[in-house]
Amino acid sequence: MIYIATFFSHYGAMHCKKLCDTAGISARMMPVPRALSSSCGTCVRMEADREDLLPRTEEMEQIALETETGYQILFSNF
Amino acid sequence: MNKSREKLWIILAGAVIGVIASALVLLGNPKNMGFCIACFIRDTAGGLKLHSAGVVQYIRPEIIGIILGSFLLSLTRKEFSPRGGSSPMTRLVLGFFVMIGCLMFLGCPFRMILRLAGGDLNALLGLVGFAAGIVCGIFYLKRGYSLKRTYRLPASEGAAMPAVAVVLLILLLAFPSLLAFSESGPGSMRAALWISLLAGLIVGGLAQYTRLCMVGGIRDAILFREFKLLFGFIAIFASALIMNLVFTAVKPDAAYFSLGFEGQPVAHMDGVWNALGMLLTGFACVLLGGCPLRQLVLAGEGNSDSALTVVGLLLGAAFAHNFGLASSAAGPTDAGKIAVIIGIVVVILIGECNIARNKKKG
Repeated sequence: MIYIATFFSHYGAMHCKKLCDTAGISARMMPVPRALSSSCGTCVRMEADREDLLPRTEEMEQIALETETGYQILFSNF
Repeated sequence: MNKSREKLWIILAGAVIGVIASALVLLGNPKNMGFCIACFIRDTAGGLKLHSAGVVQYIRPEIIGIILGSFLLSLTRKEFSPRGGSSPMTRLVLGFFVMIGCLMFLGCPFRMILRLAGGDLNALLGLVGFAAGIVCGIFYLKRGYSLKRTYRLPASEGAAMPAVAVVLLILLLAFPSLLAFSESGPGSMRAALWISLLAGLIVGGLAQYTRLCMVGGIRDAILFREFKLLFGFIAIFASALIMNLVFTAVKPDAAYFSLGFEGQPVAHMDGVWNALGMLLTGFACVLLGGCPLRQLVLAGEGNSDSALTVVGLLLGAAFAHNFGLASSAAGPTDAGKIAVIIGIVVVILIGECNIARNKKKG
């Protein structure tokens, strides 16, 4: 499964990426996809079997599951 | 919207914006200034009598149009999102110094592209400084720079900036005697009000839809090797260049394209200060998260932090002209040079003071 996490700041994305690296979750930082948000910040694309394996941080704005047709919002902190 | 469709939209939007910008010059705006967010906010400050530089006073309908274009499209697309509270005062100060940098160079990043498309090689030095400023900003992003999170706000807060834009339009249409209008200089050169407003609405809508950002293009290319936004940048340049060449071919006396350093419209030839002005602008814009155009668009989407940044831009413009900080065709002023140096120092301090550190427990 591919998850996209968006953040309130670039720092939030960096912090999440570090946590993913530590937890052995494949993750990379990239610009937020337009289909997910009109904001143009940095997101983290994570590959994991289940949502509960993903790190959670205070800086996280939302987590979305990438689907064939777009994105399904799983969590929102806004 | 998938990635290739997104890229196509950005290129199309950039091309349309370049055509509109060149057309506005043909219809009356100053040369290489179909759009300039910094100049137009400066003119608006003058129109509201916040400064007394007689040659740059006119409430530019393009600015009103961009805010309302973004507002209307974000409402339609259910993306209007009132939010704020992310270090608003810091953003105002950054906005202030973005304007100081822009008025040293005589243009925002948008106009920098349009100046290049008009053959103004002085803007190349600006581009070098702008890219260097973005690299400085990225240095802080990588060290953990953050202005902290935003919060959901009441709809009235998000609608405040679009409401201000409507009030400005009413003043312009119904109470012009309250305002100042330049009778000579760049402020007196303007396309018809409704054309300028329509151009602003279209550009605001396109920029909202595509998230076009002059800073974001270079930032994403360096940070992620992601060139989508940069293509928008290039498309504006290419289409404006083609239009300028066509207009010049049709009306050779008007010289919409003139390659060189000397005699360029609303520009000076001091390369060092062109570069340093745009360095300050690029640096501060990365710390803000977007260029002046993007700040207007976000303000239209309900972001009150960006609205305050626009207020910072307005204040910067008023200060720049009241205290002799803005450059002219004759070159930069000593006071302007000092202001740019102070601006770079202040932006560095803001960067240093906002490095987030992980809380260590136990």
